Amino acid sequence: MSDVIAAEWLKLRSIRSTYFTLAVPVGFVAMAVLLAIYAVNVWDGLSPADRDHFALSSLATLNAEVTGICVAVLGVLAITGEYRTGMIRTTLTAVPRRRVLLLAKAGVVGAVSLVTGLVVVFGTFFITVAIVGGRPIRGQPSGVVSELPELFARVGAVPVFALFGLGLAVLLRSTAGAIVTVFMLGYVVPILTSHLPGPWNERLGSFLLGALPGQIVGGDNENSVYGAVLPPPVALLVLAAYAALPLTAAALTLTRRDA
Amino acid sequence: MIEVSELTKRYGRTVAVDGLSFEVKPGRVTGFLGPNGAGKSTTMRVLLGLDAASSGTALIGGRRYAGLRRPLHEVGALLDANAVHGGRSAFVHLKCLARTNGIGVRRVTEVLELVGLAGAARRHVGGFSLGMRQRLGIAAALLGDPGVLMFDEPVNGLDPDGVRWIRELMRSLAADGRTVLISSHLMTEMELTADRLIVIGRGRLIADTSVRELAERFGRGIAVRTPRAADLTGVLAAAGATVGSEPSGGLSVQGLAADRIGELAAARGIPLYEVMPRAASLEEAYMRLTSGEADYRAEGAA
Repeated sequence: MSDVIAAEWLKLRSIRSTYFTLAVPVGFVAMAVLLAIYAVNVWDGLSPADRDHFALSSLATLNAEVTGICVAVLGVLAITGEYRTGMIRTTLTAVPRRRVLLLAKAGVVGAVSLVTGLVVVFGTFFITVAIVGGRPIRGQPSGVVSELPELFARVGAVPVFALFGLGLAVLLRSTAGAIVTVFMLGYVVPILTSHLPGPWNERLGSFLLGALPGQIVGGDNENSVYGAVLPPPVALLVLAAYAALPLTAAALTLTRRDA
Repeated sequence: MIEVSELTKRYGRTVAVDGLSFEVKPGRVTGFLGPNGAGKSTTMRVLLGLDAASSGTALIGGRRYAGLRRPLHEVGALLDANAVHGGRSAFVHLKCLARTNGIGVRRVTEVLELVGLAGAARRHVGGFSLGMRQRLGIAAALLGDPGVLMFDEPVNGLDPDGVRWIRELMRSLAADGRTVLISSHLMTEMELTADRLIVIGRGRLIADTSVRELAERFGRGIAVRTPRAADLTGVLAAAGATVGSEPSGGLSVQGLAADRIGELAAARGIPLYEVMPRAASLEEAYMRLTSGEADYRAEGAA
């Protein structure tokens, strides 16, 4: 197993698409820095009355979502890259135990995503806090410690995106198909759901992947397309299911299907 | 040792392999022959656990491939030279494969040298010619120094030097006592490389024979030249042979061995100028064996 993990780690490191995919969230950290500097400059020039109408939403949350989508693509490419080139047959000849192969891929993609999530989310958060420098801008956290649970929940959701993408891609074997599905679920479905008549927009909107980190820490997902009807433990379970169900289906399919 | 027994593989309603049984023994090169679409690649894919058999078994060393923990140490295979990720270098590609089976980097360097790719080791595989990819695939097959080797059409895309290199490599691998199975649709290539032949068509076994036996089975009799053709014809016909006359004036004898023809002629004092067994070319034998077995054929070509 450890040999297969080491090989998958080497595989992931040795293709360019990995670096392109991970460069996007890192680029968003830089963007968050510029945005925060700009916001602070504007804020400083405002009268006290105008400052009440000025808000800067959480850039760490935004970047957590961007990272989620990017690592979902990473998870997709980890397997569709092999199907597209035919490399999968060479791989399966070297590792005929297909569940072991899938587990190793999931482990590597999951770990890389988790680390990326930690760096991007906490990086964005602390840099923003430093730039805001205690100014009471609306939408910005008042303290560091009170924000930690939500930050960890957001980081925890990042590898779930990656595993969701990986599982889906094993089932579809198509880069385009899997990435389109990820984007539909990440962007289009939440918007559609939010336009449903109440209370279904709230109810269904609570089960969407992006709705879960907020609910895990007992938040109300206000000012978002998401609902918040789930208690924290249920939200945590649903989050785990987003990774576990596609991966289980992938394992069953992979072991039964001709390569 | 490869054992295929009553193997059947269906894809939907298409039967790719149909009750196929054969054995491949170590210490010699076995050619796996058949027209395109005969089921060679499918059989190899089932042997490697890539596709599941519909029924029957395909075992290597008495075991199913899917049950091997570190298969590269036991079986080396090249199915499709293009089944590589073009963005990796030859070295990294092999290193990834080696790592899965606990094989060190030193062996990677070794096999790259062995197949003549040492100079291109750091280049991206995407820029390799088909011949270079074949060499890379063979390097991958040799990584674990396995006792069983399987190559699907290994000479495809190789230049004459490469073809000769493969031929010698296969023979030396077999001489080490390894089991070597090479598929091909070209009899001329197998004639020079293989000792044993397994011929299939439409998924069924047509012949499991040695190269020599096959040539003899489709032999065109023995050419005999004598000044007393009429006398010899009578003598040989009486001994049970079928005798025809050749356009060149000689006789064509079937059903008697050359030794016996000589003895019969000597007993009657008939001089013989020439006694020459004429083996069919393997190409011809193969064409006759597989005629009607090709799935895809141009109209009128038969």
